[in-house]
Amino acid sequence: MENKKPLSPHIQVYKWHISSLVSISHRITGIINIIGITLICLWASLLLLGENSYEAVNLLLNSQIGKFITLGLTWSFCFQILSEIRHLIMDLGYGFELKTTKITGLLVIIGSIFLTIILYLIGKNLF
Amino acid sequence: MAQIGLPDNSKVKKGKYFKDKTGSKNLRKVNVYRWDPSTEENPRIDTYEVDMDNCPSKVLDILNKIKNEIDPTLAYRRSCAHGVCGSCAMNMDGKNGLACTTPHKEIDGDINIYPLPHLKVKKDLIGDLDGLYKQYQSIEPWLKSNSKSETKEIFQSKEDRAKLDGAYECIMCACCSTSCPSYWWNGDKYLGPAVLLQAYRWIIDSRDEERNSRLKKVADELKLYRCHTILNCTSACPKGLNPAKAIAEIKKMLATANI
Repeated sequence: MENKKPLSPHIQVYKWHISSLVSISHRITGIINIIGITLICLWASLLLLGENSYEAVNLLLNSQIGKFITLGLTWSFCFQILSEIRHLIMDLGYGFELKTTKITGLLVIIGSIFLTIILYLIGKNLF
Repeated sequence: MAQIGLPDNSKVKKGKYFKDKTGSKNLRKVNVYRWDPSTEENPRIDTYEVDMDNCPSKVLDILNKIKNEIDPTLAYRRSCAHGVCGSCAMNMDGKNGLACTTPHKEIDGDINIYPLPHLKVKKDLIGDLDGLYKQYQSIEPWLKSNSKSETKEIFQSKEDRAKLDGAYECIMCACCSTSCPSYWWNGDKYLGPAVLLQAYRWIIDSRDEERNSRLKKVADELKLYRCHTILNCTSACPKGLNPAKAIAEIKKMLATANI
């Protein structure tokens, strides 16, 4: 009888809001960053193997997919840093009022996109 | 690893459709989660057309109307209807709250009503909260004093009393705990926002003499530190309390205290 009882719907029905979105994105970007750092290490090691392997990586990074990965990783790092700062402030006990959490959450999202664009422009030598 | 999907016996099917019989022009569709323990069937969503011209302002009024006028088999908890008892906590429009204090005007489109999330369902909108009550018991929510002879009242300054504001008002409706994804995945071990807010309430009570042992008790990787400040709890609380902040305060006390 006990096991027959159904489990009520949870993540299927629960509404997302800014704080929960930032929180889950923080975890996802954390995982992406670990993969990203590994890739960057591999890239750096390939430099040691000489001009040919460097060229191959260069070709990959200049392709559409390469550009997407680079930009994506840049955003992921930016998001993680800003979100981490938000969580650090919360760990100090500040910023728990609903309104504040909404504002800081939005700041993290908008800030991460803004930082990515700035880094892109710096990379393009537009500054 | 947490199970993201619902088990097979919990998958929600389409249910019955109750067409309006009053001939009202002002109708709203209300989708309600139903499960009948006397059958072997899966839970289903029944849809009711409700005449809004003759319905008071809160979601609980809609449920009462359905039960009284359309379908008497619907089961849900309710008692005070004034946001004090915490009985009618449920998930409305994807957010936990008290049906008696949630205006249906604030919900756009069809009204979706589910039981509190990630609970074993007893019937329809009634979830099993035994686990939560056991956890509440585990934090020993009563004043503990070692003083041998208590012949007079224990004094508390106005400042110390003010520290309890925002913690003592909790009505244990479980809106916060059942809104918390960490509690969904680790509800058997993680205490959850409602119980941790109460743990905090007794830790900071100046009259309580077991502060350190209370702190030691919650200082646990699973009991306390599963909180990842998702803040579903604070945004769900129908009494406007802030369990997430209370949990952060406990973490802070543990980080700075010498116990």
